[in-house]
Amino acid sequence: MEQKLRQEAKALLEQNKVDWIIGFEPGSLKFTATPLITRDKNDTERLIISPFMVNNLADFLTGIEGRVGIVAKGCDSRSIVSLIQDNKLARENVVILGVPCPGLIDLAKIERLVGKDRDELDDITREGDKVAVKVEGKKKEFAAPQVLFDHCLACELPTPQEYDILLGEPRPPAPELEFSGQNIAKLIETPPAERWEFWKNEFSRCIRCYACRNACPACFCQRCFVEETEPQWVMPVPRWQDNLIFQIVRNIHVAGRCTDCGECERVCPVNIPLRSLTREMYSIVDELFQFKSGMDKEALPLMAHYEQEEAEDLFR
Amino acid sequence: MADKKISKKDIARLLEQWGQQFAVFAPSKDSGVAAMAEWDGQDTSFLDWYRNTIVPPKASFLPPMEEMFHFQKGEEGYNIKTPPKDERNRLLFGVRPCDARAIAILDMTFKDAYEDPYYLSKRKDAVLVGLGCTNPCESCFCTSMGVSPAESADVDLMLIDIGDEFLIEEVTDKGKELIAKTKGLKEATKEDEAKATQSKKTAYDRVTRKLDTEGIKDKLLASFDDEEFWEKTAAKCISCGICTLLCPTCYCFDINDEMVKQEGTRFRSWDSCGFPNYTKMPMENPRQEKWRRVRQKVCHKYEFYPMTFDVIACTGCGRCIRLCPVNWDITRVIESVPDKTEARK
Repeated sequence: MEQKLRQEAKALLEQNKVDWIIGFEPGSLKFTATPLITRDKNDTERLIISPFMVNNLADFLTGIEGRVGIVAKGCDSRSIVSLIQDNKLARENVVILGVPCPGLIDLAKIERLVGKDRDELDDITREGDKVAVKVEGKKKEFAAPQVLFDHCLACELPTPQEYDILLGEPRPPAPELEFSGQNIAKLIETPPAERWEFWKNEFSRCIRCYACRNACPACFCQRCFVEETEPQWVMPVPRWQDNLIFQIVRNIHVAGRCTDCGECERVCPVNIPLRSLTREMYSIVDELFQFKSGMDKEALPLMAHYEQEEAEDLFR
Repeated sequence: MADKKISKKDIARLLEQWGQQFAVFAPSKDSGVAAMAEWDGQDTSFLDWYRNTIVPPKASFLPPMEEMFHFQKGEEGYNIKTPPKDERNRLLFGVRPCDARAIAILDMTFKDAYEDPYYLSKRKDAVLVGLGCTNPCESCFCTSMGVSPAESADVDLMLIDIGDEFLIEEVTDKGKELIAKTKGLKEATKEDEAKATQSKKTAYDRVTRKLDTEGIKDKLLASFDDEEFWEKTAAKCISCGICTLLCPTCYCFDINDEMVKQEGTRFRSWDSCGFPNYTKMPMENPRQEKWRRVRQKVCHKYEFYPMTFDVIACTGCGRCIRLCPVNWDITRVIESVPDKTEARK
């Protein structure tokens, strides 16, 4: 499949159908892939498809000028569609190289199960429903749901719905919602006072690196409220209260845009379980508006369109 | 005088003893992320899991956020109140040689070039107790940056793993004085010292990531205007602050006032040259484009710092590689800087 991807990507650049290719190449650490953003057709030789291509590449689309050929997993394709809905991207300016995705391996889960850091592992291989980890010469096998990212376990669209070229056989969705929602279910059952304490602790270690925001394709604002000074909505100091407000407002701003790609939580260097907030918002949006972002490019953006009939009396 | 040693199982008692004189900080995951935290009086489990912290120990002297003072508008100007100070001196236990070197590099800015009272109030009388690595990470490249993973001249005391015990090297006079007052230590034997030498060598050899920094200052100077190179280098960067905020040598901070009616507080907190707002001014932003910010970050460490202090402001701790959301790897970047130095001559 990689060969086909490389050929297609190269052809797109050669035939001047795109200006850029965005995909993945091998990363510089074990079990990593890293975004490859290039105009050079020779670079397409380095493109890969791997269970470690964790980034949501749609994040780069709003910062790039010209036509782009982009490798997209199901979640990436939803973010692309969401950007099209919001008029941040023209469909004709993007060639989607769709990749059916069997779910991405969460190295943090493997670390917890094996009791070793990722760089101490010899090998990780996906074999159907199982993931085999080789450590200190021994092979350990895990059921895929044990070691895939929570957001992958909730995936409703492993194969992009919107694509130009599909690389590989489509995969049907097979959500493992029970596995995926454990943390959130536990939080919902927690009494409010205790839950408040929980989030206070979590947000106490936020350092305001803004990786959650910057890795998020739905966070495409040119100017983020968090950096406004007049009025100053939130202090730029990493005080837990301000950190919490930042994240809550961010969450509201991406409601109806968030596709549950899980990037915010994955990139957090201090392990704040941010997806517990975004996924809950995703569910609330679905429940209230029967809306799932990034599923239909013709659908009007949930929070950015207005119809007279739906107005409350006050605004009519 | 011969080195001392201590059994690993006696570390709790050692820290307890030091705790009577110092505020002892040790590696901890209690906050949810590995960082130096005030020792809880019993837990030494870090001896098993600790390779390095995510949050670098610079946070003990330059915290992510600190209250500088409180102010209140009075009849005749402002009344200033400074927050209560922790009078105890700090002892940081378990500092890795890369991070100890980083603190020495921070000292050049906050102690030598300029006296920063906020930093110095915590740093001046602090004791650094180093702990040699036995299991460096894949992202570590300290040996390329003049640091050895189990040796350090930048701490007061250095502990070397020799099996069931640690050999204790007295590095500074401050360290020597502390050891003289410390009870329950054993004399190290010639054999122990041989073990320590071997331990240092083994750790050194386990650092596999290499970086050639020969002539990097001049190369960067010559390639400063190579926009194409910097654009390519910056392409996948998402402009988050991880690699700078969590860098043990990055020291940039921002100052903000929070004012409600007639009173308020002045804070200082970590800032990053990766953020577009870092250089935002009323009329323009000289680093609006991402590649200019990435260039700044690289050049500050590998060109400007060497120009000012004759030292590269990178100790090879590897945090920026390990924690980067897009695997932007400083070692790959430095290696790819084109050599245009000849053309300039």
